[in-house]
Amino acid sequence: MKKLFYTKPFDYWIFVFTLMLVSLGIIMVFSASTPYAKMAFDNIYYFLNKQLIAAGIGLILMIGLSFIDYRLLKLIALLFIGLCFLLLIAVLIPGIGQIYNGARRWIDLGPGFQPSEFFKLALIIFLSYSISKNQEKVSTSIKWVLYHLTFLAIAAVLLLAEPHLSATIIISIITFLLLFIGGAKFHHLMICGFVGGAGLVGFAVLTDYTNDRLTIFLNPFKDPLDLGYQLIQSFYAIGAGGLLGRGLGKSVQKFLYMPEQHNDFIFSILAEELGFIGCLVVILLFFLLVYRGMRVSINTKDPFGKLLAGGISCLFFIQAILNIGVVTGALPTTGISLPFFSFGGTSLVVNMVEIGLLLSISRHAKRSVKKS
Amino acid sequence: MVNDQKKIKLYKERKRLLVIIVVFALCAILLLARIFYIQFIKGEEYQKLAYQQQTRNQKLTPARGAIYDRYGNDLAISIYVNTISISPTAMRANELSVDLLARGLDKILKIGKETIIEKINKESEYELLVRQVEKEIGDELQSWLSDNNIAGVTIEDDTKRYYPNDNLAAHIIGFTGIDNQGLIGIEYTMDEVLKGIPGKITSEIDKNGTLIPFSTDNQIAAYDGLDVVLTIDENIQYIVEKALDEAIFKNDVTRGATAIVMDPKTGEILAMVSKPDFDLNNPRECPDGFDSTSWTGYSTKDINLLNQTVWRNKALSDTYEPGSTFKAITASIALEENVILLSTMTDDYEIEVQGWDINCWRSYPHGEETFLEGIYNSCNPVFVKVSQLLGIDIFYEYVEMFGFYDKTKINLQGESNSLFQKDFGLEYQEIDLAVASFGQRFKITPIQIITAYSAIANDGKLLQPFIVKELLDSQGNIAKKFETITVRQVISSQTSQTMREVLKGVVSEGTGKNAYVPGYDVAGKTGTSETDEENVYTASFCGFAPAGNPVITVLVVLHDPQGDSYYGGVIAAPVVGQIIEETLEYLQVPRNLDEALIERDVLIPELIGYSIDQATDILDELQLQSILIGDNILEDVSVSYQYPLAKTIVKEESIVVLYSYLPEEKERVTMPNLLHKTIYEAKVTLNALGLNIDTKGLGTCIDQSVNKGEKIEKGSIITVTFRYTDNVE
Repeated sequence: MKKLFYTKPFDYWIFVFTLMLVSLGIIMVFSASTPYAKMAFDNIYYFLNKQLIAAGIGLILMIGLSFIDYRLLKLIALLFIGLCFLLLIAVLIPGIGQIYNGARRWIDLGPGFQPSEFFKLALIIFLSYSISKNQEKVSTSIKWVLYHLTFLAIAAVLLLAEPHLSATIIISIITFLLLFIGGAKFHHLMICGFVGGAGLVGFAVLTDYTNDRLTIFLNPFKDPLDLGYQLIQSFYAIGAGGLLGRGLGKSVQKFLYMPEQHNDFIFSILAEELGFIGCLVVILLFFLLVYRGMRVSINTKDPFGKLLAGGISCLFFIQAILNIGVVTGALPTTGISLPFFSFGGTSLVVNMVEIGLLLSISRHAKRSVKKS
Repeated sequence: MVNDQKKIKLYKERKRLLVIIVVFALCAILLLARIFYIQFIKGEEYQKLAYQQQTRNQKLTPARGAIYDRYGNDLAISIYVNTISISPTAMRANELSVDLLARGLDKILKIGKETIIEKINKESEYELLVRQVEKEIGDELQSWLSDNNIAGVTIEDDTKRYYPNDNLAAHIIGFTGIDNQGLIGIEYTMDEVLKGIPGKITSEIDKNGTLIPFSTDNQIAAYDGLDVVLTIDENIQYIVEKALDEAIFKNDVTRGATAIVMDPKTGEILAMVSKPDFDLNNPRECPDGFDSTSWTGYSTKDINLLNQTVWRNKALSDTYEPGSTFKAITASIALEENVILLSTMTDDYEIEVQGWDINCWRSYPHGEETFLEGIYNSCNPVFVKVSQLLGIDIFYEYVEMFGFYDKTKINLQGESNSLFQKDFGLEYQEIDLAVASFGQRFKITPIQIITAYSAIANDGKLLQPFIVKELLDSQGNIAKKFETITVRQVISSQTSQTMREVLKGVVSEGTGKNAYVPGYDVAGKTGTSETDEENVYTASFCGFAPAGNPVITVLVVLHDPQGDSYYGGVIAAPVVGQIIEETLEYLQVPRNLDEALIERDVLIPELIGYSIDQATDILDELQLQSILIGDNILEDVSVSYQYPLAKTIVKEESIVVLYSYLPEEKERVTMPNLLHKTIYEAKVTLNALGLNIDTKGLGTCIDQSVNKGEKIEKGSIITVTFRYTDNVE
């Protein structure tokens, strides 16, 4: 038990940055959701309350997990990913999976959740475990790279069936990054990445679903009232921000102009209210978080911990970059939430659990290099 | 070695993690660059577009200025009304069903439930329901909306024009369109001043059109329009309208008429009437005598018709040959240029110019006469000779100086240009000059001739006629005052003085006798002119009074009279006389009367109950005559009945009939025929029958208030109208 509750301090910076992101996120959820909450539920605190409860649960889990030795995860890695694969299959079954915005992504068990949310974590844990265990082989043989990519391929097929392109992209990037950190040869990854990328592009070209998005991405004003509407409204919101923004709570676009104003497009409202400075702070916080996470990874001697820390850190940053890229029109529109910000209880709890794991690694891992 | 390998591996891993961080940092920088691009480079454009969708502009309508007469009487005022519109999408978002909403709205607005349902179901953000409903209806709607918590209905304040005097001065005042824009008259020419500057409230709204909570309204205040004070005197305008209406009726004037009253010393227009006219509160009504089937008042065809008929301000728009009224101008030029004296002998025998024979208007000429008599008699050949003495250049130079070539620039729209034959070539310029001397073969506007006459009356100074006196701001302070503008000195004040005497003589001795008003020294000149159509004449008279110190100039023009006479001296002159008399009385200008010649008014006292002798004495004292019916043998017989009754106002020397008994049948006499009798003859005839006379006008009798042969009570007052019909062109 002594081993389990080892009380070496965790990385305070990660904790502080997380709290800052979560707090700012809750404030923004409240600000962005009030007009919609008022209209739809006649209660401006509707979304705030839910998010606060989730944050509370998340905080307890995060701190709690930081005390538990992350290495216990090795024991459940296979079980966890197996369970998640089952969920990914289950969500495709009508009756279990709920359709939202044209995609079957949700399972409703009281609080609804997306299996993909858990799968990301499960995959990171599993890959970290597997790659760390087979590090020598992975770093020499393309077979072992392909072995790990098989899991990605199966998941991608299941996710694209929903369809859930953004989750597919995220787990693809994470998988490659983990293999990269895990020591796979660069040219192996390049070859596989090229083939996989071609497959994704093929999928995109073959389906209207992604075709429309590309057209609109290139010129949203082509269809300003329908397909381009969301992106245009996002431009209006961000454009109104200027240097300092309209001021907290003073967004106009949140008054039902901006669809998904407290979900995927919450960053647009943040840009409108807090301006360029606000955007800078948020992106900087995400970067500092990933930086601290990577530091944990660098400093961890245990290959599993190293990979897990790197994977989790990258997961946050990749999601943040993709989300902000989408709302600013730098990337084609795809439903991707902003960690800590977008409304969604399950998502927030999972995010904080992930940070909890990161903290646990920072607390329990043996330092690879002593400070001189 | 193992340690070394491990170190290398560690180093490699570390490098890879650092590569990732660097790549991430680059991504972050690229995203910030993208945000920077949206916020600072495209920001303004997006903000503008966003502002358009996020705001709603509510117009603040300024109050339109009122139009007053010179004493501040209302001629045009704005009353507050409401205009109701809806936002269909916001309406449908209400809890109440569309049917219930429409029923509720219809109950208040009464525009039809089906129409409302149709509008609520439209895919638009704005639908007009009803314009300019009374404010009470708007208030009722407002309380219904708030009681039932209904969103999506807009009640806008609006104003509607109201004209308290209906037809009075319709052409001058003008009216406004549905958007309160002036269409004709002062409403049009002073529109910029009257309409004010609109303001607006910009409110932030959400996507459904509901106001955003805690948002700040951006308000730009509206500036109310200025009030326009006209030079018009409502009372004089009324006097002129009435006189003109009577003249049109009496003389069967078929193509309309116009009259102008001007202050010759300032150029102010005191009254301006054009007939036919229209009701300002209902300006698009089909004019009398036109086919009203399929009439809308808004079609191009209908508007053209309105413009050509009732909306046309004949005082400015209708050019006509001035005829003999122009002789006053020719005479002024002659006297100013000193080419002839008033006493110079001349004649009005036939004169030939370029093969045309020119005769006097009268079937037999007046013969040898002085120039003054020639003016009095309005002899055409006399003026031909005078114009020949002047020569073409000088004559037309003065015509131009009198303002006949230019528009007067009065601040009303529709002023026409004059038309002179002279412009068409040199071949006929002699005959052209000859006929121009007596006002033929060229066309001018009524406003030009009265302006020229005013110059004659005003010591030779030609003034610019004007109709707007002042502009007042909403506090009633004078924002702008319009002053008299002197265009030029046309003739000397000496010539002006002479002409005033000459034209006074035309009325007292010559062809203008019918414009005579006792004590007011009317000066003026008649005019009867031919038109382009055969047997269609224009009768006119232009004059001013009092001649010694003119207070008003008056012009009356009657187009195509179909009554007994078409001569201006017969039918237009008395109208001018009537206008001058009533106007100067109203202006309290004292009459210049020989005391001995004034017939005083006497109030008949109550005589019933007095003895006959006493009653007779009382009447004697009041310079009244008495006729006794019954007998006075017994000295204490008293008056039982009198006629005219007590409190009747009569002229002195009138007859009062006294009865010594209470008559069952009053004494009656048969009304004689007075036609063509002089005033004296008529008076003697009536008095002999025991009747009293009330005279109107001078000359010979043309009308009597009781028809001949009718039985009439002794002592009755008969109104008899006299007019000069001889030598009154």
